[in-house]
Amino acid sequence: MKRITYLTCSLIVGCMVAAMVGWSMAAGNFLVPVIAIPLGIIVILACRAHVDTVIADERENRIRSRAALRTLEVVVIAGSIAAIILYSYVVSIPLSPIINGRLSVNDDGTQSMTIAEYKPGSAPGPDTLVRSTTIKDLNAMNETEAMAYCTYVREGFRENESRGLAGMIIGCSLVSMLAIFGAFYLYYDRKY
Amino acid sequence: MKNRIRVLRAEHEMTQEQLAELVGVTRNTIISIEKDKYCPSLKLGFRIARIFNVDINNVFTYEDDKDGPLSDNE
Repeated sequence: MKRITYLTCSLIVGCMVAAMVGWSMAAGNFLVPVIAIPLGIIVILACRAHVDTVIADERENRIRSRAALRTLEVVVIAGSIAAIILYSYVVSIPLSPIINGRLSVNDDGTQSMTIAEYKPGSAPGPDTLVRSTTIKDLNAMNETEAMAYCTYVREGFRENESRGLAGMIIGCSLVSMLAIFGAFYLYYDRKY
Repeated sequence: MKNRIRVLRAEHEMTQEQLAELVGVTRNTIISIEKDKYCPSLKLGFRIARIFNVDINNVFTYEDDKDGPLSDNE
């Protein structure tokens, strides 16, 4: 088998495994990836064993190692910046919607509260109003009104929390990647 | 690092592909070595010299580059 045939086979097998895993995840069948991924690896390794030309020599390995190192450097720097920026949204108040609550006393002596959501970073006013709701009797708040109240509070931070979550994921990925790199570095440092 | 691989190949009427196959590397590696773009390992250097039945000094000649003798700019 020639090198190009091996690469084509690997690509086809990779695409098939990815499609099967994607389909199984969507269908909720978690047994398929457990079988498909090892099977794909076995097929690729079998193809590799039948390659009669040189797949990777010392120059190729040196290029790959240097490329991996450069990639790591770039990913760590760019990822750190992205993680910090995204995580900063969690504590960034001006970018979250402005939620105002106004208490007022009704004619019968009960208290009502009006909660309004305004566009992020804008002055509260009729032009910037996104939506509002009124809880007629604050002390006798029913479940629906309580849910609406919680939704408003949650809404104020939801967008920023999702960005913060993305930042945390990137940060954790970087830490994991560095840990793996460190482990391999120590291993090869001892070996050679 | 200068080398005489192209000359030695011509003397032995050997193609880059054949040499690559004999020393166990890709043709691209032989091309890069001949162009002085890639500095091979000692192991590969000795293997190439053995293929041509010459001493390694007859294949490769070390020259101090502009960055100094310890530079690693291959």
